[in-house]
This record gives sequence, structure tokens and C-alpha cells, in this order.
Amino acid sequence: MTPETLANLANNALYSSMVVFTLAMLAFVAHLSARAPRRAQARASARTDALVAAGVGAAADGGTRDARDVARDRAGEPAPGSAAYGPESLRSRQWGSIGLTLTYLATLLLVGSVVLRGVAVARPPWGNMFEFATAAVAAVGVAYSVLARRNRWEWLGVFIVTPILLVLGLAVTVLYTEAHELMPALKSYWLAIHVTVAFLAVSLFTLGAAVGAVYLLRRRREVRPSARPGVIESLPSAAALERTAYSLNMGGFILWTFTLIAGSIWAKQAWGAYWQWDPKEVWTFVIWAVYAAYMHSRATAGVDARKSMYIALAGYAAVIINFTAVNLVSTFVGMHNYSGM
Amino acid sequence: MTSTDTRTPRRTTPEPQPPDLGVLGMLRWAWRQLTSMRTALFLLLLISVAAVPGSIFPQRNIDPGRVADYLTRHQSSGPWLDRLGFFDVFSSPWFSAIYLLLFISLIGCIVPRAKVHLKALRSRPPRAPARPERLEHHASLTTSAAPEQVLATAREVLASRRFRVHSHDAASVSAESGYLRETGNLVFHVALTGIIVGMAVGHLFGWRGDVIVPEGQKFASSISTYNTFSPGPWVNPARIPSFVLTVDKMQADFIQTPGKTFGQPRDFIAHTTVQARPGAAAVPEQISVNHPLSIDGADVFLLGNGYTPVITVRDAQGEVLYHDATPFLPQDQTYRSVGVVKVSALPAPKQLGLTGFFLPTAEPTFANGPASVFPDALDPELALSVWEGTLFPGGMPQSVYTLNTEAMKQVTKPDGSPVLVRLKPGQTYELPGDRGSVTFDSVKRFAGLSVRHDPGELIALVSAILTTAGLILALTLKRRRVFVRVRQADDPDGRAATVVSIGGLSKDSDAGLTAVIQAVHDRLAERTTAT
Ligand code: HEM
Repeated sequence: MTPETLANLANNALYSSMVVFTLAMLAFVAHLSARAPRRAQARASARTDALVAAGVGAAADGGTRDARDVARDRAGEPAPGSAAYGPESLRSRQWGSIGLTLTYLATLLLVGSVVLRGVAVARPPWGNMFEFATAAVAAVGVAYSVLARRNRWEWLGVFIVTPILLVLGLAVTVLYTEAHELMPALKSYWLAIHVTVAFLAVSLFTLGAAVGAVYLLRRRREVRPSARPGVIESLPSAAALERTAYSLNMGGFILWTFTLIAGSIWAKQAWGAYWQWDPKEVWTFVIWAVYAAYMHSRATAGVDARKSMYIALAGYAAVIINFTAVNLVSTFVGMHNYSGM
Repeated sequence: MTSTDTRTPRRTTPEPQPPDLGVLGMLRWAWRQLTSMRTALFLLLLISVAAVPGSIFPQRNIDPGRVADYLTRHQSSGPWLDRLGFFDVFSSPWFSAIYLLLFISLIGCIVPRAKVHLKALRSRPPRAPARPERLEHHASLTTSAAPEQVLATAREVLASRRFRVHSHDAASVSAESGYLRETGNLVFHVALTGIIVGMAVGHLFGWRGDVIVPEGQKFASSISTYNTFSPGPWVNPARIPSFVLTVDKMQADFIQTPGKTFGQPRDFIAHTTVQARPGAAAVPEQISVNHPLSIDGADVFLLGNGYTPVITVRDAQGEVLYHDATPFLPQDQTYRSVGVVKVSALPAPKQLGLTGFFLPTAEPTFANGPASVFPDALDPELALSVWEGTLFPGGMPQSVYTLNTEAMKQVTKPDGSPVLVRLKPGQTYELPGDRGSVTFDSVKRFAGLSVRHDPGELIALVSAILTTAGLILALTLKRRRVFVRVRQADDPDGRAATVVSIGGLSKDSDAGLTAVIQAVHDRLAERTTAT
């Protein structure tokens, strides 16, 4: 097959994956709405439930926990008393399962598209912004697919698949670049290592930020219970969400540290200096320092978990800036501007 | 307390006074503040905010040209930003202050924690609580096995899971694991200081020299032969290596197929011959992007390339005044390049200066000024304006790539329009007014080489690897304590039984601890009832 046919095939796989992701998103929405209690039933028991929920939230944050609590957290089930949900409804479980299956399929198509494109250009397929964005969301899809079933993260699906779709939409409209070769400075296996690990880190940060945002919502409801409990109350407890977000961000942070090191080894080969504060390096450092601050804040006595989460989300904002503005906007011109835009 | 009372209240108690700490006390207090976790947190956030301007404003260390450009475009705000260090963010006093504080705080943090940890490493797990079942993670069982047997099994199970085990009394076992977590944390923080030390060593003892070498020319390394040489403050000039390098051929390939990437570079390779020192054996070497050449403690990087048109200037009698391969610096992706020829062989007010463009594939009409349509030398052309006067007014040194026209006048044709010399290779232009001629003989490429030596690099690299290793230990391991306590009781049938209570404690949320407790429980249940 010629590179052109391969590149076309890659594009078709990409469009197909967008279609399937859209279906997955709809299934996840159906799943979430089926999770919510029926209104009448909810209204009847809202007050007492809310009181219990608040009490349990506080206990789970600092009080005693037994093995059952932990098992429940792992299973992603709601904390006891979060509005007497009982077991998840069959309909909700079915939709969740459909959403997950569709996500696997869409992720597979997307990964296939990235691989085909790599074959078409005979190099790692992340030499420009279009390829970079596609590969990054493919990594997010893979990370979510791997972790979702085990952790019963169907409820997280909407928050993952929607951003993936947005990025893919941007990629095919604004960022699209034809398949082509790399600039000489980009031909290095350190680049492959550096970028691969960066993708992994970013995918974990993305999951961490999504769970973190859900945590903030959940926690607000625990502190100030709503008169009409809904989807949010059906999610895992705020304390469990916070721990999950921490684990994800922690994994992301380790990988980011490695990204930073591999990047400077590459910079040394390509430019002769391992660190010279070019804008991309500045932002890599900023992300690293903000997440380090998050780690610290979480270990500092007297810092509220909510504040720590804001720091983590600020770190994620820096991740987004790093992959968008720093590549595209001319004020950030440095040595990294190979994006082909 | 917004109302003002007209009556003076009687003072019953003296106003609260800050405790009198004295100078030493104040220092101690300041030190404790500086080395607290909160301060570290604050400084980390501060340094990340402080780094951002370094990516928004052009920086002198990366591109001084853009800084100068910014300053001319922002006449009012520019100088203020400059004074505040926004064009040298990473060497500005405020940025340095933050990272120095962070560095001090880091050391102030490591030392006491290392002491505490060393002690902990030599200590025993603490005494088991009276009721382990009240701990966060717990399990219990009743068994017919004897207490000693239960405790022995518990000890065995915990030891096999790399717990440090100790019995403070006959009815309990205490176990602790995850000492490596704190070790990893300390390694991480110590290695961070290592990175900073490595960077400092590189700054103090490192040097960098940049040079442009046209094809066919020889470059002998020494402080004075580089175009620019930037040594760190403590560099010993005698230690600069004295290798000799000849650029035989500078190979540059560009994408020729039409499309969005038309004209983008594909490969750059400098084919060179290198002698480790003058007179040593000549060895062929290739230098390309991502593949520097290491020689005598220094690394030679290929950081740029471009064209050196060979230009000859003759006087009216045909005498050669200037003949050289003159580097023109590329300005954009199409290698439209600017350069200067300074004909200083003539007496002062009659000196000639030529300045203008080299276009590797010239766009013929010049409709939008001189432009190149492709970076390869497919149809090269020179376009130069000519100046006459004094090249070096006041004998001031100046860049070889710019012409100081302060004391010069542009040469015009008899009709008063300025002279524009346009030449293809092999062509000659006769200057008006008996000023002689300019010939474009041929064109060669040049290699832009950067030679660097950074003795701090290895320190930084090793520290960076240790940082990652320490981080992985610190973040993935858990500090856990497990206690087992036995109590004798009678079971409902009146037979002797042992009630075993297992409890676990972890510093952070730790779902894995439940699994450990469960495992201890299961092993006790299976072993001790089996007998
Ligand atoms: C250069 C700046 C610093 C960076 C990038 C940094 C980074 C980190 C990271 C990523 C962790 C998480 C590892 C873990 O949880 O075990 C951590 C933990 C910790 N850091 Fe730092 N740190 C810095 C400076 C400091 C300073 C100045 C202090 C002392 C005030 C400090 C004290 C601690 C402590 C006590 C922990 C352990 C928290 C825990 O028990 O989980 N760090 N640091």
C-alpha cells in the first residue's frame, strides 16, 4: 500500500472512531440518568438520606473505615446512605456496559488510526499538532479503557468521552495536517520515549482531573445536601473520589518527572544544552512544580482536600496550555516550534 | 469593634505581647517558618507562577534578536520590563530569590527528617494497642489453637511480607513495613538538591563556543577562534581543547514534493575531518542534528547551516580588494539570508560596504522585495546595496553581520537611484564612478557549529535518575503497622479458645492494608484450625 492509501485509511478509522465515541457518549448519558433515583421516591426520603450522607462523608474522611468500606470504594459504589439507592438499576448497568463496550471499540479504532498514520509516515506519529492531539486522546482512551471496568468507572465515561470528542473534532477541523516527514531535530529515539511517556502522563492527569472535578461536585452536595438528590448522589463518596484522583495524579506525576528527564536528555542531543528555559521547557517545569505543590498540599496538615484539588486542577490547566497555546501562539516562540502549524 | 468609646476603659490585663524571643529566637522562628511544609508548598506555587513570564516575553538567553525587536516595538513599557528582568527571567533577582529560598528550605527540611528517619530505621515497631480491633483496618477470629502458636504464625506471615516484627509482650505481635517509603522520599529530596548543584557546576565551569565554518575550511579550536565564546565565571582558559576540524561537505536535504511541507528540511549532516589536536591523525566524522561529536571533553553540535557566497571585489584596475566565502545568515524557512561584505582594504572615507540578501532559489520579479521560494540552492542570486564611507567610525568593534552606515553614504547611479547589485553565480557587476566591480564567484554551504562543555551534566543526570527512583518508592510504598493481640477465652462449648484481634494502621489512605490484614486473618484461620 502506498503512504497515501495508508493515510486515507488512518483518516477513515479516525472518523469511524468519532462516530463510535459519540454513541458511547450517549450511552454514558443514559447510564447516568438511569442511575439517578426516581423523583417521587427520592423526594420522600431526601431529608433523612441527606443527613445520613453528610454524616458518612465526614466519617469516611477521617473516621474509622472497615474492610467493607474499602471494598465498596474500589467497586465505585456509593457510600452507604447516599440517598438509599440500593443496588444500581439493571437499566443503568446495561447502559454503562454498552457505553464501555463502545468506548473499547472507539479506542481501538483510534489507536488503529494512529498506528496507520505512523506506518504511512514511517516514523512515530506525533510530529505535528494534529498527530499529537490524536495520539494524546488515544492514550486517554486507552488509559480509561484499561482502568474502567475493574474500577467500575462507568459513571466517569461522560467526563472522559466528551473531551475526547471535542479534541478529535478540533483535530480534524482546525489542526489537520497532511502526512509528512519529520524535521531533522525530531528524528531521535529519545523523542519517541519522551513523547510516549508524556502521553501516558497526560492521560493519567486527564483521568485525575475528571475524577477531581467530579469530586468537587460530589463534595459540595455532601456538605450542602440538595433537597432533590440526583445523579451526583449516586456516585462514589467524595472521600473515595478524592483518593482515586490522588492515585491518578500521583501516577501522572511520576511519569511527568520521567518526561521531563527524557526531554532534557533529548534537548541535550538536539540543541546541545539539556535545559535552557525554552517556552516548552518552562511549561513542562510549571506543570511539574504545580503537581509537586499538590502532592505537598495533600500531605500538609491543615490544608483542606478541596484546596489541594484546586491546585491539581490548576496543574491540569497548565497541561492544557502546554499542549495548545505554547505550540500555537507566536508569543511562545522557542526552539520547540516544530508543530507544523 | 467599630464603635469608638469616649470613656477610657480601665486596663485590667496588659495587652498581649509577642513573646520576647530575642535575636536568636527570631532567627529560629524564621528558620522554622522557612522549612515548614506550608512554605515549601507556597514556594512551589510561587516558582511556577514566576516561571510563566519567561515563556511569554522573549528571552535574551534564547533569542537576543527578538528581545531587541520587542524593545524597539514597545518604547514605553519595554525598558521597564527590561529593568524588572522580564527578558532574563531565569537569571533575574526575583526568580533566583525564589529558587534559593526553595533550595534552603529543602535542605532545612532534609536534615532533620534524615535524622528522624535514621532513628526510625534502627527502632522497633511500637507496642501493640490493647484493642487492635479498634484500628482503621481490622479483623478478628476465634480459634482453638494455642496463643503462642497463633503469634508464631502471625510473625511468620508478616515477616514473609517484609514486615519488621517484634513482640513487646507475650500476648502480642507488632509489625511495621514501608521504611523504604521515607527513604525514597529523602532520596528524592536529596537528589533534587543534586540537580540544582549539577546546574550550578555547569554554570560555573561550563563554556560554549559558536562558530560558522564554510565548506572546505578548517577550524582550529581556541578561545579566540570562535565567533562567540561564552565561558562560565570559573573556566580555566588553558583547558579549552585544541582540536582542528575541517568541514568537507555540508549536506542539507529538503522536501521537494509539492504540498504543505514543501521546502521543509529532511536531513542535515556535516561531513567533517577531525584532528584531536594539531598534527594528530585526521579522522572522518559525521555530525548531524541529534548526533553530536564528542571530542576531548567537549561536544560539537550541528545547530545551523546556511550559505556562504564566494564574493570578489576588485578596484578599477582589477586589483583584488576582497575575496572570501562570506556567511549569510538565513532568516526564514526559505533561507532568504542576510549578510555583509566589508571592503576595508581601501583608505577610510573611500571604504566600501555591501549589504543585502542571498536568495538560494530567487523569486525573479522581486515584486515583494527580494524573496526565495525554496531553501535549496537551485537558482541562487545575490541582491546587495552598496555603501561608501568609513566602515568603523571611531574604531568601535561591530558585528560582522551588520553594516554600520553612520559614516557611510549609499552609492547611487548617475541618475540618482540607488545601486542594486543583482548577481547570479559567475556574474560580475561594474560599480558606477570607477569604484571597481563585484563578482559572485560561486556558493558554498556553511555548518553552524556549537561546541560545549558542561561538567555538571553528569551530576544532574544521576540526580535526576535518583529523583525518579526515590519518587517511585515514596509514592508507591505504604508505611504500614499491623498488630496482633491474643486473648484466652472459652468458646460456647466450654473448650479453651483463643480470640485473635488483628489491627492495621497506615499513614495515608491505603486500600492495600485491608488485603494484608485479610491475608494474616486467612492464614491464621487455615493454619491454626488445621492442627
Ligand atoms: C524543590 C522543591 C520540592 C519538590 C519538587 C518537592 C516534591 C515533593 C513530592 C513530589 C513529594 C511527594 C512524595 C511523597 O508523598 O512521599 C514530596 C513530599 C514531601 N516533601 Fe517535598 N518537595 C520539595 C521541597 C520540599 C521542602 C522544602 C520540604 C520541607 C519543608 C519538603 C517536605 C516534604 C515532605 C515532609 C514530604 C512528605 C509528605 C508525605 O509524608 O507524604 N519538600 N515533596
